[in-house]
Amino acid sequence: MGTSITSWENVSAYFTFADSPILLMLFSLGVAGIVVGLIRFIMKHETKAFDNHK
Amino acid sequence: MATETPTLESLQASLDAQQAIFNMHQSMNVEVFYWWCTAIMVMIHAGFLAYEMGASRSKNALAAGVKNILALAVIIPTFYLFGWWIYNAFPGGIIPAEASGALPWSQSMGPDVQDMGTGIFWAAFALFGATTGSIMSGAVIERIRVSAFLILTVILGSAVWILAGAWGWHPDGWMLTEMGYHDVGASGVVHAIAGFFTLGVLINLGPRVGKFINGVPQQIRAHNLPMTLIGLMMIIFGFFGFLGGCIIFNGGDTGWTTIYNNPTNLSAFAFNTLMGFAGGVIGCYIATRDPFWTMSGGLVGIISVAAGLDLYDPGLAFIIATCVSFIAVGAAKFLEKKGIDDAVGAVSVHGVTGVVAVILVGVFAGGTPNVGGNPAISLYGQTVCAIVMAVLGFVPGYLVSYILKKFNVLRVPENVEVLGLDEVEILAHPYPESVPAKGNTTESGDLEAKGA
Repeated sequence: MGTSITSWENVSAYFTFADSPILLMLFSLGVAGIVVGLIRFIMKHETKAFDNHK
Repeated sequence: MATETPTLESLQASLDAQQAIFNMHQSMNVEVFYWWCTAIMVMIHAGFLAYEMGASRSKNALAAGVKNILALAVIIPTFYLFGWWIYNAFPGGIIPAEASGALPWSQSMGPDVQDMGTGIFWAAFALFGATTGSIMSGAVIERIRVSAFLILTVILGSAVWILAGAWGWHPDGWMLTEMGYHDVGASGVVHAIAGFFTLGVLINLGPRVGKFINGVPQQIRAHNLPMTLIGLMMIIFGFFGFLGGCIIFNGGDTGWTTIYNNPTNLSAFAFNTLMGFAGGVIGCYIATRDPFWTMSGGLVGIISVAAGLDLYDPGLAFIIATCVSFIAVGAAKFLEKKGIDDAVGAVSVHGVTGVVAVILVGVFAGGTPNVGGNPAISLYGQTVCAIVMAVLGFVPGYLVSYILKKFNVLRVPENVEVLGLDEVEILAHPYPESVPAKGNTTESGDLEAKGA
């Protein structure tokens, strides 16, 4: 379902959904979301840890 | 047994087949070379890890390590998202050129059997970016919030340095095409940028508690200096991957070239990398007799000659490295007197040395022609570009850390800093059976005599 190819003859970009820029943009948003989410997660952890040691 | 008489056509077909195999192997060699450069560069991060953990007091050892690991982990995906695009879109300045092929949703940004270059060059550049981001890491230990550090390191490692790379490394970069800029080993685009970005951050971050008493700087001792020295040596090891990745492995009959397309080879780089290392160690030892600075001298030495690595006489490289070591040590003392607490001397080792290195190419190699009709190397061009690098590094570092400070998310609270980040934030202890993370250090970091 996610493949970009139906045959290995003359194949070039072969990663999943390589022929669907919309989906690749969504994956990129997912990457950005994980990085931003990590930083947000750490902020929350820090705030909670700091509060516990007031 | 009958043999067929070769025809002109059959010989041509055989020759074409051989040529195709040769070309494929050439392309594979390029990939192999940068694959191992990238792998060796990972050693820089192992080095930074050991270096910073050792340079911290034991109450902050793991926090320093976690911060370092996470820096590598966030710079890689963010460099994928926008770093590679910045390099390809901004060689002309601040107006982006068309570079849709470098956007993360482009077909060229993924596995492609017909593209044996993009992925491996992206990987090497991503590790350059991670190295740049990690240079700041040691300077800010023991008091920066990890979240703030990660925001800053992403900006430095995935945006600011690569913008400098687009200007000073790209074949169409305006610094090369208009100023004749020469910086083959990244003294400017990596080290000066990272050093001055760090300075901007340190101004807003402030010194560690206890670093200055009545304005007099105190020595806060590393809890594991041997580990710090080993970490620095690991960084030197990684430098060979870094500098190897700065050279262009061409297929065909061109041979090695620099990023500026002038002829060079690994032999040229080998001479001056090692002579720079040796000169730096000797210079810093004479200047300080301090083990930490003696080993840091290896970094100073390599960075001081990296910009002209392909051009210098090895003896000259050695002398430059030795002399610049005194400048780096002097700069570190000057910054400390000015109230800047740079825990590992990153601003002077990377920033000041990087700027001096770029200018020295203009002094010692001025007049060297560039290829492709670009202006020759000049003292004027190198000096202007060195200033641009320092400013380009400093301004975003200062501004972003200032904003974080205003939102009160830059620095940990004072009581947390006194307790130690490992005790508060980290769910593990570095030395649970021998050196408790809590309550074992004085403010200056000395171990209390507890019968141990």
